Amino acid sequence: MKQFRLIISLFVLSIGVLCFAPTAWAFCGFYVAKADSKLYNQASQVVIARDGDRTVLTMANDFKGEVKDFAMVVPVPTVIQKEQVRVAQPKIIERLDAFSAPRLVEYFDSDPCAPQYRDRLYEAVPAPAARISGATRGDNANLGVTIEAKFNVGEYEILILSAKESGGLETWLNRNGYKIPRGAKQLLQPYIRSRMKFFVAKVNLDKFEQSGYEFLRPLQISYQSPKFMLPIRLGMMNANTAQDLIVYILSPQGQAEITNYRTVKVPSDTNIPVFVKNEFSDFYKSMFQTAYLKEDRKVAFLEYAWDMSSCDPCSAEPLNQEELKQAGVFWLDNDTNDNFLAPNIRRPFPRSSVFITRLHIRYSRDKFPEDPMFQTTSSRESFQGRYILQHPFTGELNCQASREYKRSLPKRFEQEAQTLAKLTNWNIQDIRKKMKLSLGNLNYSWWENFLAWLGL
Amino acid sequence: MLLKDTRDYQILFLGLFLVLGIGTRDWTLHPEFIAVAIAFCLSTQWLLSSVKGFWSFDNNQEQQPSINLRSALITSLGLSLLLRTDHWITMALAAVSAIASKFFLKIGDKHFFNPANFGIISALTLTSNAWVSPGQWGEEWWYCLVFVGTGGLILRKIGRWDTTVAFLGSYSLLEAIRNLWLGWTWDVYWHRLMSGSLLLFALFMVTDPRSIPNAKIGRVVWAVCIACLTFILRNYFFLSTAVFWSLFALAPLTIFLDYLWSSPRFSWLGEGRRQEAEGRRQEDDEGDEGEGGDKGEIPTHNSTRAKCAASANSTQHSSLSTLITEV
Repeated sequence: MKQFRLIISLFVLSIGVLCFAPTAWAFCGFYVAKADSKLYNQASQVVIARDGDRTVLTMANDFKGEVKDFAMVVPVPTVIQKEQVRVAQPKIIERLDAFSAPRLVEYFDSDPCAPQYRDRLYEAVPAPAARISGATRGDNANLGVTIEAKFNVGEYEILILSAKESGGLETWLNRNGYKIPRGAKQLLQPYIRSRMKFFVAKVNLDKFEQSGYEFLRPLQISYQSPKFMLPIRLGMMNANTAQDLIVYILSPQGQAEITNYRTVKVPSDTNIPVFVKNEFSDFYKSMFQTAYLKEDRKVAFLEYAWDMSSCDPCSAEPLNQEELKQAGVFWLDNDTNDNFLAPNIRRPFPRSSVFITRLHIRYSRDKFPEDPMFQTTSSRESFQGRYILQHPFTGELNCQASREYKRSLPKRFEQEAQTLAKLTNWNIQDIRKKMKLSLGNLNYSWWENFLAWLGL
Repeated sequence: MLLKDTRDYQILFLGLFLVLGIGTRDWTLHPEFIAVAIAFCLSTQWLLSSVKGFWSFDNNQEQQPSINLRSALITSLGLSLLLRTDHWITMALAAVSAIASKFFLKIGDKHFFNPANFGIISALTLTSNAWVSPGQWGEEWWYCLVFVGTGGLILRKIGRWDTTVAFLGSYSLLEAIRNLWLGWTWDVYWHRLMSGSLLLFALFMVTDPRSIPNAKIGRVVWAVCIACLTFILRNYFFLSTAVFWSLFALAPLTIFLDYLWSSPRFSWLGEGRRQEAEGRRQEDDEGDEGEGGDKGEIPTHNSTRAKCAASANSTQHSSLSTLITEV
């Protein structure tokens, strides 16, 4: 029995070495590029760290206009006091974005004249990445609006309002200098009647200038509520086009998903032509749009799900403890010991770590009538949007095996072209053309083609 | 014979949903967990039936233990469709507790928990790695058609349309009132009701004729209660698994409802009662035992049940009223 265990552990170890030894054979692929949120014009980003019903919500601010015009109204489940609000570092969302973005990896074919080595690599290619296994009351009364709290945090002036009826709230906001779009009344009502409060923020210009920041920093609020949802309906009031929302859910448990819409994985782990290396952003945008249309525009896409103590391949270094705390992870203090566990070992009690789920929701009024509700599950299954470039061997080839290798290449390229066309809806002829350009050194002489035709 | 039994249709349809789900809905379903669910359901059923048969034999009742594998298979398919886990032990626990609930949690000869539902709740409460994905079916109309079509076929055969109609009717009424009061547009309402998971529950789980009340009026009252509790749990306690919890919580109400509506109110169906008893004997010959264990008990000490069963559309479907749908 002991021997058997030894064999098993050796086997596990050898897999570990194969997979995680730095760069040796690029078994898990070299990381090349990422498709982060900068791709989209108007992507809102939200970080939700949640454990039980305690939540820390960080809202990135992508406001592009004059700072003095900025105001936001967000329905929140409970009254929020000053201690529950802070201003987060903008960098933290960038870090999460970079860490979880869909990624491009590349492999290089080895010399086909060294067959054993090649076989191993070939097996390795299609394998997905290794499994590795958070008041005042005044004359507002006749409008039915109560100011539950009023305070300043950083450059923001914050009000927490509760209201009795939507008309009153709309009037109040207009009177107090908040430009509320038309039609807001109808949309505010359901939130008022579900006893939600309104988190209203605008910028204190003096403080903003003092702070020296160029952009508005993210606001982070913590609260305790069984409601695990994001109020997106208000944001759709003026929008005619689809909007992108990227939600990073950090949980001590495992993967998060949406309960009232389908959560679908983005297409992943596919081999695509090597020329995509230079246009990965275009590729990802087209691929996402194609997948979005294919799913009839009414699903949320899972782009990343991983234990945050590791990544493979890494598009950015994992966040350290301090950064995780910045991102709102509040349960780390209790279990610092567990973080010393090797990152690749599945833990029986995964509460020690942080699991990230990156959901990309492209929503529009007609297909997302209801605010998305979330739940965290205990699934620790890893997933990443990962696209593979397989470079052919470009060295000298003069052995028997090389002919077979060369013969196999056109079929492989054609397969890659078709995959790319299918994923992105790009024209297959254009793809083929581009591929030829990038594969100039693989043209065969006529006799090679002839021999290939003869099957020799 | 194949497809002679309504449960065969049910096995076929649930199997179809599994294939559809894995094929078109992008589930992270592990085939080995389906195998585990089936293996543990069938073996638990076999084991407990054998033990029970042996015990009965000891008591000098000359009966051969017959094993009801169809309903166990239905339970396992139901678990595979609904329960998500990343550990096979959790699935095994759900399967064993589902089947065991039929043998141990019963009053007289009637188990009152829906086995698959009991298994799901056991896994959710006893382990830390089980969950249910209510969003997994989305809200596409053609799925709704498939569910309504197949579910309708089975419900027509077993005569349990009333339960589904009562459940969906009252639930959608409550949701409509809420929607109207909150002031959401109606597309929010339809989005909530078109959920494939809700329909699957309404058509295949809440209608299990073996564990739900026997009398029509009892079933309607029961389904309305489940709808109300589901509504409250979902909208005021924000439980995404509200339907399963409310079915679990209200399952014991079946006993009370059976008691309540077994009164003289239905005694005028004397003819139906006789037919029911005959139908039951016929069923015994087919080997449908195991979960009920109701052989030879009807005329003696279980008149309540016979009356109730008789009232449950048995005049029209004398042999069908004894069929079992589990999910």
